[in-house]
Amino acid sequence: MSDDQFLKVRGLKKYFDAGRPGLLSSTKTPRYVHAVDGVDFTLRRSEVLALVGESGCGKSTLSLLLMGLEDPTEGTITFEGNDITHLKDHERKELRRKIQMVFQDPYESLNPTQTIEEIVNEPLLVHGIATDKNERDERVKKAMEDAGLKPADVYLGRFPHELSGGQRQRVVIAAALVLEPEILLADEPVSMLDVSIRAEIINLLAELRITRQIAVIFITHDLGSVGFFADRVAVMYLGRIVEIGTMLEVLEKPQHPYTKALLSVIPVPNPRMRRERIILQGETPNPIDLPTGCRFHPRCPVAMPACRVSDPKFEILTKTHHAACLLLVK
Amino acid sequence: METVVKNNESSSQLGVRQSFWQSFKKNSIGLVGLVMLSVIFILAVFAPFIATHDSSSSASAEIGDIYNAPNLEHWLGTDDAGQDVFSNFIFGARISLIVGFFAAFISLIIGGTLGLVAGFFGGRADNVIMRFTDIMLVIPDLPLIVVIVALTKPSLLNIIFVIGLLGWTTTARVVRSQTLAVKSRKFVLRARAIGAGKRHIIVRHILPLVMPILVVQAVLVVSGAILSESALSFLGLGDPTALSWGQMLNYAFGRGAMSIGAWWALVVPGFGIVWVVLGLTLLGQGLEQTLNPRLDTHHLTPGRPAVQSEAAKPSVEKKGTILEVQNLSVNYVNEGKAPARAVENVSFTLKEGELIGLVGESGCGKTTLMLALLRLLPSAGQVVNGSVNFRGRDLTQLSDDELNKVRWKEISIVFQGAMNALNPVRTVGDQIAEAIIKHMPEFPRDLRLQARVIDLLDLVGIAADHKDHFPHQYSGGMRQRAMIAMALACNPQVIIADEPTTALDVMIQAQILELLDSLRKKLGLSIIFVTHDLGVVAEICDKVLVMYGGVTAEYADVDTIYNEPRHPYTQELIKAFPDLTKPKKKLSSIPGYPPRLDDLPAGCRFAPRCPAAFDRCHTEQPALHQLSENHIASCHLVEASK
Repeated sequence: MSDDQFLKVRGLKKYFDAGRPGLLSSTKTPRYVHAVDGVDFTLRRSEVLALVGESGCGKSTLSLLLMGLEDPTEGTITFEGNDITHLKDHERKELRRKIQMVFQDPYESLNPTQTIEEIVNEPLLVHGIATDKNERDERVKKAMEDAGLKPADVYLGRFPHELSGGQRQRVVIAAALVLEPEILLADEPVSMLDVSIRAEIINLLAELRITRQIAVIFITHDLGSVGFFADRVAVMYLGRIVEIGTMLEVLEKPQHPYTKALLSVIPVPNPRMRRERIILQGETPNPIDLPTGCRFHPRCPVAMPACRVSDPKFEILTKTHHAACLLLVK
Repeated sequence: METVVKNNESSSQLGVRQSFWQSFKKNSIGLVGLVMLSVIFILAVFAPFIATHDSSSSASAEIGDIYNAPNLEHWLGTDDAGQDVFSNFIFGARISLIVGFFAAFISLIIGGTLGLVAGFFGGRADNVIMRFTDIMLVIPDLPLIVVIVALTKPSLLNIIFVIGLLGWTTTARVVRSQTLAVKSRKFVLRARAIGAGKRHIIVRHILPLVMPILVVQAVLVVSGAILSESALSFLGLGDPTALSWGQMLNYAFGRGAMSIGAWWALVVPGFGIVWVVLGLTLLGQGLEQTLNPRLDTHHLTPGRPAVQSEAAKPSVEKKGTILEVQNLSVNYVNEGKAPARAVENVSFTLKEGELIGLVGESGCGKTTLMLALLRLLPSAGQVVNGSVNFRGRDLTQLSDDELNKVRWKEISIVFQGAMNALNPVRTVGDQIAEAIIKHMPEFPRDLRLQARVIDLLDLVGIAADHKDHFPHQYSGGMRQRAMIAMALACNPQVIIADEPTTALDVMIQAQILELLDSLRKKLGLSIIFVTHDLGVVAEICDKVLVMYGGVTAEYADVDTIYNEPRHPYTQELIKAFPDLTKPKKKLSSIPGYPPRLDDLPAGCRFAPRCPAAFDRCHTEQPALHQLSENHIASCHLVEASK
């Protein structure tokens, strides 16, 4: 099977109802939240793709669509050549073993009444695999040790509140690994953790991709944290990807003004290297009433009159580097 | 502080399995209720052995036996049929408890199931079930029960069913709202992502967290059912063959106990009802306090007074210094155990217009230190040493009234988590106005107040037309700005910002940093910026205090901290940062976790995680070494190289 066929997303859209017109409201047309509004990308086997954007850019909705936890409005998702866009629950169950997710908040994503063993064991129980107790214990322990909870025995009987944030996130990762997935979707896995522990979790994900050949989609608002282990970076704004390229292309030669701004505000831990920061004013506009033309133009520091009218298409800069900005049109 | 709060939060969900009994034992209200109920239970269960007379043999009643006052043979007198009131009371307990518990059981099953289904499945099921519940709620229970019981045969079984079938409404509502709350939590989403079906999610994830609420609810439903049965029997609709407390009241009342003055025939069963309902209510309250820690009065209980220390002398006010903290130590009193030394011997000075960064991982004592400055510690916290000199006064020694004049007016705080710190049902402008009035009661409450609110919002970059919006209409960044406006309400000289950017995106974080920096220049503010992120403070602060495990690791000006750090902890923290100029470089992390404050290592607190630790580090705590005028580090390596 060709590598391009691993995970392929084409024209993916998700609109949420923003309240139907009520009996007394003046507008009669239904309004929609354009959470994800036409996203295309492919993911190769054991590749790490970083999806970067501010809150409200649709990156979390995108992850729920990929997990089949939300139903897309339009577009297709294919995995290993099969269309998985609108699977029924029982059809998706098999697939869930292959695509697993790590959530943002390790304080919230673990059930406080379960022990660590029950949490890591739960996926096996749900899928009815490894019914033999010894085999199950072995898989649970292996997943925990691969996630850096060594020795596993120490943690098995504990409850989530007895662990630190970093350890909890490792438990979440172990519960995903126990199914031996091929894709790991990590939604802001480090943003709730202390800086000193972030590196640990990122290094762990980077290691898993080598030892277990897992592809990772790493969702984050912090471009600074993707450097070491992402192969490619996609920058999202208001439901769309505005720039995508290899990690070095995006970090060293950013083309879209939004990417440039995001890069400029990453804190640098050295006062001697204080740089000119491009601080965008305001916040991501609400995705109900989208701006005309280029979606970024109201906040863009280099917007031209044309940006108000025409919605830029992807410009192909290199084979791997694409960006959607009128300034790049030659 | 953070660890304290977290533990507290999680103890709510420790689950019924672990420490429930441990904490319930300490709840005197709950225990009293439990004992009260146990007494009645024992009486009811062992009734045949305790009762002095057989309550069923009424055939031999003679006129002389009726309504006898309490005497040696009949401790509580006799009733209208010449029966022993004490014995009837005990057998009556059986009937009342049986009705109460069985009816409540039916109510809980119905209410629990409907609430769970409505909450979990939502949509149409929710709509149908909850509207039906609403209808049931507005129908007055008792008259309906009376009508139904009057129409059916008044047997004990019928009464149990009628009370049970009508008493489920509140349970359904309570269970539904708890189910909704649990359903929206991330671990349920994670279970779905794993591939778990609905049944699995309900049984494994929803039920364990709904159970505690259901237990509390059960206690209240039982007491309601007992009251309903008593009322029915009193009205003459009870089962005439089952002599419950309500039935005893009914007979006594209907057969002239009042006119004869036979108070005992009325008081005794009445006492039984009150005793049981009171016991259940107390038990319910005790259970709720144990299972629902949100009822903890954390910051509202007054803190412990600071220990008077001899070192606490108002120091000579140095030029330009606004706040000087000297050797401050804070303990958390831990019942029965050694106190947790949350902050130990920390000193720093803050000059006018200066911005100092207070940096450290979660649980390193930085929030405790910050709260100690204004004596806002939770009740277990106590300043045990040191002084906080603010413009010539030692804040640790001021009375509460004097301190209240300093709080907010001279030193104010921007709290972490802007969403939780704002009241969701009042407009932001209103809340800022309230902050002004509360601290400056003399402020005119007319247009000038509104103008002041608009000024403050303008100062933090919020347009005046957002004044009358509610917090949920604000974005995360705007809420943080509103919090800053509120902190500025009384023109303070010092602002303590506790992780003001932690939950925000990098772009919004940059906006807030820029705002704080500009306010400092515009208003001459001094700012203490508390954060776990060394990168954030590098941009704007003048000095940095790095804390670890409650002690000062290193304290220096910003350039020294980042370019010539001497403490291994500072060095490791800086290394943990991704370097954008070398994107391919592997990130370094600090293995291990900060020490628990109740289990500190014997030597240097960082030694177990320190890459450079040697023997001495594990046995001896390093002193604070003055490296230059503005550079302090506490590390044995520094001493060796001096």
